[in-house]
Amino acid sequence: MLTIDALSAGYSAVPVLKGVSIRVQAGQFVAIVGPNGAGKTTLFKSISGIVTPSAGSITFEGADLLALPPSRRPHLGIAHVPEGRQVFPSLSVMENLEMGAVTEAGRRDWRANIERIFEWLPVLAERRDQLAGTLSGGQQQMLAIGRGLASSPKLLMLDEPSMGLSPAIADFIFERLIDIRKQSGLTILLVEQRVAEALESADHGYVLEAGRVVLEGNNQSLRADDRVRQAYLGM
Amino acid sequence: MGRRRDARLGLKQGNAVTALVEGIFQALVAGLLIGAIYGIMCVGLGLIFGVMRVINFAQGDFMMLGMYAAFYCFTAFGVGAVFGTTWGPFVSILAAGPILALVGYVVHRLLISRVSGTRTASLEGEGHHAQLVLTLGIALVLQNGGLMAFGSVLASIRTPLSSSAWELGPFLDMSVFVNKARGIDALMAVAIMAGLALLISRSRLGKQLRAAADNSVAATYMGIDVDRAHRIAFALGTGITAIAGGLLATNYPFHPFVGVDYVIVMYAGVVLGGMGSIVGAFWGGMTIGLVQQMSTLILPTQLQNAAIFVVFLLIVFFRPQGFFGRNVERT
Repeated sequence: MLTIDALSAGYSAVPVLKGVSIRVQAGQFVAIVGPNGAGKTTLFKSISGIVTPSAGSITFEGADLLALPPSRRPHLGIAHVPEGRQVFPSLSVMENLEMGAVTEAGRRDWRANIERIFEWLPVLAERRDQLAGTLSGGQQQMLAIGRGLASSPKLLMLDEPSMGLSPAIADFIFERLIDIRKQSGLTILLVEQRVAEALESADHGYVLEAGRVVLEGNNQSLRADDRVRQAYLGM
Repeated sequence: MGRRRDARLGLKQGNAVTALVEGIFQALVAGLLIGAIYGIMCVGLGLIFGVMRVINFAQGDFMMLGMYAAFYCFTAFGVGAVFGTTWGPFVSILAAGPILALVGYVVHRLLISRVSGTRTASLEGEGHHAQLVLTLGIALVLQNGGLMAFGSVLASIRTPLSSSAWELGPFLDMSVFVNKARGIDALMAVAIMAGLALLISRSRLGKQLRAAADNSVAATYMGIDVDRAHRIAFALGTGITAIAGGLLATNYPFHPFVGVDYVIVMYAGVVLGGMGSIVGAFWGGMTIGLVQQMSTLILPTQLQNAAIFVVFLLIVFFRPQGFFGRNVERT
């Protein structure tokens, strides 16, 4: 579904990604883990077009993403739930969800989507008229996920959904994500620093360090890898 | 003898009080009427500066173009002939809105977009320095171009309604006069404000504009074309300020350099209302209109603008975020 090939990108002369290749197949849950500064967020920004890569290619369902302006890419079915949530603070919860549904598919499926989103994340239904800026961090994260789901995506990209949240709330959000995935069969690409949880729930994982993929494999092989166990799982 | 003199004196004092109260009401009404026009004038800039964070010093000169657009629609392009001298001016003024919106759209596409929007979102200062220089340049070109095209003779859009009035009252021996042209101006301004407020708060376009203003990167993630949203906001802002200019021109003569007088008032109104708030910008403009007219009761007219800025400083001192400033952090 999503194929990233030999991608290099960075911010004015500072290279962050150095020849990264990643493949996401339809229906897969892929996790990208790695330490701070490994280039995980830059990778996501390259997919969404906020960062322009210096080399390499990104294709989504056969379409060359890099040839499309950033604002067209979500319409192909890519939902980006950004790092730090980035909800629209002066819009209500409902209006935030409507902004998720700007895409053609999101508009078409609005009624069905909103029903499912409220079922999965009932706190959004309770607070539908509240301004997003006044929500707690955990609620904002749920809104950011709901907003992503409202676009009827084929691929949901989640950038550190646990960032800045208490462990209990982060756990809750992970559980919700696994539920949502089970029920919807959505393809998910997750970037996460909470390596144990991320690798546990994903089918396939990549370890990104200093802008390169240093390790990749399926759920079992990665969790059995000595380097992963030592460096990330503390075993 | 003594009693009769006392009674006469009492009557005289009564007259003086009545005249004073009448004067206050008259100034209040004048302030509300001009305030409504200032309100939408500020709303036009509010869309551009408050919401999209683009510094535009040419806004006063777009307003000047709006005045001339309305003027020529009325005198040269036949609107006056079709709608008559009474209503023709108002139709012309409304027509100036879309004309200047188109001008704004083109200016944004060709020039402003190069120093604003997603192109400069990641720069320090969001491209404000370049915007400052560019829009001051546009202002100079428009002023001097206007001088060449329209000449330096004072122009005005007169309607017979400009020189007649409705009398409100009398209540308790007092009556307040409302200039008919100004009354209609104010009604039109309020109607435009109501329409715009609905557009911004309820429509899909309005919500997308607000989302783009809140967080342009996240808006792009949603599939919103932020540069297009900015272009529409710029066009809308220019058009509304142009209509405000036309409405002012029914009572105040104008010339190609008139924009300079108003652009500072616009910024004051936007800041007073609270950056980012459209409704706030309207009340900011309204406040300025009221202060300007009420100050004439106690100050010579030359000090009107000084009074505006004293009140401005006082309000900003006690409420730095303005009337409707966002308490919610921008991300």
